[in-house]
Amino acid sequence: MKEFELEPGEHVVKELRKHWFLFLGELLPYTIFAILPFAIPKLIVLAPPLVPYATFFDYQELSERIVLGIWLLATWTMAWGSFTRYFLNAWVLTNRRIATIKQRRFFYREVSSLLLPRVQDVTTNVSGIVQSMLGIGDIKVQSAGAEIVFTMRGIPRPEQMRDIILKYVAEGSAHTHE
Amino acid sequence: MPDQPLQPFAPPENLLAYLPNGFSAGVAITWVLYTVFAFWAIYTFVAIYHWLKYSHASWLALPAIAAHLFVSFALMSYTLSGKAFFLAPYLPV
Repeated sequence: MKEFELEPGEHVVKELRKHWFLFLGELLPYTIFAILPFAIPKLIVLAPPLVPYATFFDYQELSERIVLGIWLLATWTMAWGSFTRYFLNAWVLTNRRIATIKQRRFFYREVSSLLLPRVQDVTTNVSGIVQSMLGIGDIKVQSAGAEIVFTMRGIPRPEQMRDIILKYVAEGSAHTHE
Repeated sequence: MPDQPLQPFAPPENLLAYLPNGFSAGVAITWVLYTVFAFWAIYTFVAIYHWLKYSHASWLALPAIAAHLFVSFALMSYTLSGKAFFLAPYLPV
């Protein structure tokens, strides 16, 4: 981990990202952009006055092919950039702390840690039909005195994650009191 | 309100004919492609830098970068020459 150094005896328990279904939702605009140049000639037939313009979308001329190529290259690159940001946003649970890594955009990265002994409350929230069916929800981790609140939205199986966090919080407390 | 019926819009037959004197269509297309590919190169460089720098993502970094480069080069090849390699079945030639 380059974001933070693991202490001696510390190990990563779980690394978590937003649910893949939500990422597919983020990809939807790029999918529409990619399909658009091929859908337009088919849709244009439905409007007879526009039919003569359908020849612009057969991509047989050099200039038309260049426009299509640039359009698809830009769409692909933006979609890949979206995947990059999706993947670089993560929650990392170690046996000592929780770290959130937020990659809001390129060159804007935020890493925060909360030591497990300071965790006082872990709340999960699953609301909505799709979220309930796919097990997508939010987790809110609150520190003692509510000084720090970590919220991760749209993660898979939040209840399972809550149980793991609480297990390690309890283990940490047991070691502290020994 | 004018009482004449609306005339159908007639698009210019060749947009490149409107370029200023001394600025040929070939030069215009070349510069457009230079600009697009320069933006692509900068964006790709920045994204690859992020993939490689944050090693927690390393298991997927190389496949993700390779996929991006393969697809991008196929699209660039299609733009420049009409050859799209593995994307050929999906693109009009």
